Amino acid sequence: MTSEGILLDVADLRTRYPVRQSIADRLARRPRQWVRAVDGVSFSLRRGEMVALVGESGCGKTTTAQTILRMVEATGGTITVDGQDITTMSQRRLRPLRRGIQMVYQDPYESLDPRFRVRQTVEEPLLVHGIGTSKTEREELISSALERAGLAPASLYLNRYPHELSGGQRQRVAIAAALALDPVLLLADEPVSMLDVSVRAGVLSLLDGLRRDGRLGVLMITHDLSTAAHFADRIAVMYLGRIVEYGPARRVVTDPRHPYTQALLSVVPNRDPRVRNVAQILSGETPNPVAIPSGCRFRPRCPIAEDRCADVDPALEPPGSGSGGGSAAHQVACLLA
Amino acid sequence: MSLLEVRDLNVWFRLPGGGELHAVQGVSFDLGPGERFGLVGESGCGKTTSVLAMMGLLPPNASVAGEVRLSGTDILAGGEDSVRPHRWTDLAMVFQGAMNALNPVRNVIAQIAEPIMLHGSGGGAGGARGAGRVSAVAARKRAGELLELVGIPAAAGARYPHEFSGGMRQRAAIAMALACEPKVLLADEPTTALDVMVQAQITDLLVRLCEELGLALVLVTHDLPVVAQVCQRAGVMYAGEIVETGTTDSLFHNTRHPYTRLLFAATPDLYADDDVTSIPGAPPRLDEPIMGCPFLPRCDSVVDRCAAERPLLRLAGAADGAGEVRHAVACHRDDAGGTT
Repeated sequence: MTSEGILLDVADLRTRYPVRQSIADRLARRPRQWVRAVDGVSFSLRRGEMVALVGESGCGKTTTAQTILRMVEATGGTITVDGQDITTMSQRRLRPLRRGIQMVYQDPYESLDPRFRVRQTVEEPLLVHGIGTSKTEREELISSALERAGLAPASLYLNRYPHELSGGQRQRVAIAAALALDPVLLLADEPVSMLDVSVRAGVLSLLDGLRRDGRLGVLMITHDLSTAAHFADRIAVMYLGRIVEYGPARRVVTDPRHPYTQALLSVVPNRDPRVRNVAQILSGETPNPVAIPSGCRFRPRCPIAEDRCADVDPALEPPGSGSGGGSAAHQVACLLA
Repeated sequence: MSLLEVRDLNVWFRLPGGGELHAVQGVSFDLGPGERFGLVGESGCGKTTSVLAMMGLLPPNASVAGEVRLSGTDILAGGEDSVRPHRWTDLAMVFQGAMNALNPVRNVIAQIAEPIMLHGSGGGAGGARGAGRVSAVAARKRAGELLELVGIPAAAGARYPHEFSGGMRQRAAIAMALACEPKVLLADEPTTALDVMVQAQITDLLVRLCEELGLALVLVTHDLPVVAQVCQRAGVMYAGEIVETGTTDSLFHNTRHPYTRLLFAATPDLYADDDVTSIPGAPPRLDEPIMGCPFLPRCDSVVDRCAAERPLLRLAGAADGAGEVRHAVACHRDDAGGTT
C-alpha cells in the first residue's frame, strides 16, 4: 500500500493511564500499575474513506480517538495526519492542524450547551480558531455548515435552542459545528447510539455522504457491527487495546477469521426470526486491562486456544500467511487463523 | 382465558398548564404462561407508560382506563388497593436502567432479600400472603437461590454493586424482580445499555427463565432484532397505540403496516445489502387530538381515507394452523386489500 492519499496513519499507538496507588501500596513500594488502554494499535485512513473501530466497552476505542485528538498523550507509537507527525508536536504548532480534526460525540443531549442557540453552537468553533473576521462572513460559514449537515434551510434552525430540536436534529447541529472548521478528519464516537432507530439511518447516511464527497475521512467508533458493515469501508475489531482483525467491511463480516470477531458476529441478533444464529456466547466480560494476559490476549476466553497461544503474542497479519492464502487487505492477529 | 389480558388500556397525563396528553390509546394484548411478547416502537410511543400502568406505578397526574386481567381478575378495577396485592407477587418489573439503581452501600444479596422479607416469597395473590413475613435467614437463603437462578454464584451476593460488571448487575436486577415468584415479568429495555456479548447473555437468560419457570414476559424495547429473536409475538406501537401485532415471524415476513415496514428498513442488518433508510418526520404530539391516521404525515402509502378516519386495529391475513387469525393491523390500505 502506498502512502499516497493517506490522511491518518496510526502506527503502534500506545496509551496508558496510571492506576491510583493507595498509601499502603506506596509504603510497601509496590510497583506502579498501568491501565494499558491502547496497546499497539495500527491502521490508516484515506480521504473519502470511513473506517469503523468496533469492540465492546472498555476495549480502548474511545481512548484511541482521544489520543488521535491529543486530548490524552500517547505513550508510544506515532500519529500522522496529512503527512505530519503530530504525536509529540507542541500545542502551539498543533493548533492549526487540530482544526482539521473534529469530533462528534455520542450524546447530542449532553454535548450541546442548552443555553446556546444553534447559531452560537456552530459559531463557537469559528471564534475559537479565529476564522471569519466579520459577522456576515461567519454567518455564511454557519449557514453552509448547517446545510451541509442536512439542516436546510439554515435560517429555520439558526435561532433555535437544543430543546426545540429532535435528537436527530441535535446530532446534525453537533456535526455542523464540527464541519464549520472544514475538517479533513471526522472522529464520530457512537454517533447514533443515543438516537431513535427511525432517525439513525439519516445521521449515518449524512456521515456517509460527507466522506463520499471526498473532502474528509471518517473514523467511526461503534459497538454495532451491523452499522459498521453497512456504512464503513473497513472494519477494525478491537479487543483489550489492540486491533485483532482488520479488513474490508463486507469481508470481515462474511469471512471473519479471528475467534473474537466470529463470536461477536454470532451474537448479533437477526431481524428475521427464522434466522437463528448459533450464538457463541463468550463467558464473562473483557478482562482488566491492568493485567493483560500473556501471549494472545484473547486466550482466556478463546474457544479454540491451544498451548502455544500462551507463548506468542500474535501480530496482525494476513490470515494463513504461512500457506500463502488470504490477501494483504484482510489482517488477523491469531496464530490459528 | 389467558394468564394476562390487557384490554383497551388508556393513559392520560394532566399537564401543568392545563390540557391532557393521551400517552396510551387503547392497547390490548394477551399473554399465556411461558409466552414472550414484545412491545416495540420509537421513544415516546407509550411502551414504558403501558407497562408502568399495568404495574399501577404511574405518577399521580396520570389517569388510567381499561383492564389488566390476571387469570380473569381485573387488577386495575379498585385502584391502588387492588393492584398492590399483585404487584411483585404476580406481576413484576425490571425497570429501565435498574442495573444502575442498586443501592451502592449495601451488598447485593441484602438488596434481593429485602423484598422477600417484606412481601413473602411467592404464593401469588391471596395464597400464602397471610403467612407474610419471612425470617431474615430464610430470605437470604432464597436470595442466594435467586442469584444462582440468574447465573451468579450465591457467594458473590456478598459483594457490592460496584464490584459487579454491568451484565452481573442486570442479572441481579432480574433476580430482584423474580424474588416473589411472579407469573409475569415486564422488562423495560433490559439490554439497551449493554454490550452485544452481554446483551446475548441477558436475552438468553430471559428465554431460559420463561421456559424453565413458565414465566410470561413482556419485553419493551426499541430494538426489533432483539424482539425477533426473543419473542414469539409482538406489538408495534406508534403514537400510543398498537398499530400492528402478530407473531414475530408474520410481522417480519408479512409486514402489513407501513410503519412496521419502515422500522425494519431503518434497522441495519448484518448480512442484508438493502439500503438503510430513516423515517422522515417525527411522531405526532399526543396532547392534541389526532385526526385520521397518526402515521399519516410520515407514511409513504397514503390513501384518501387516511386523513378522514382513524384506522382501527383489525384482523388481517391468513389463519394459522389452529384456524386462528393472529395478525392484526390498523391501516386503511390494508382494509382495501392492498398490501404495503
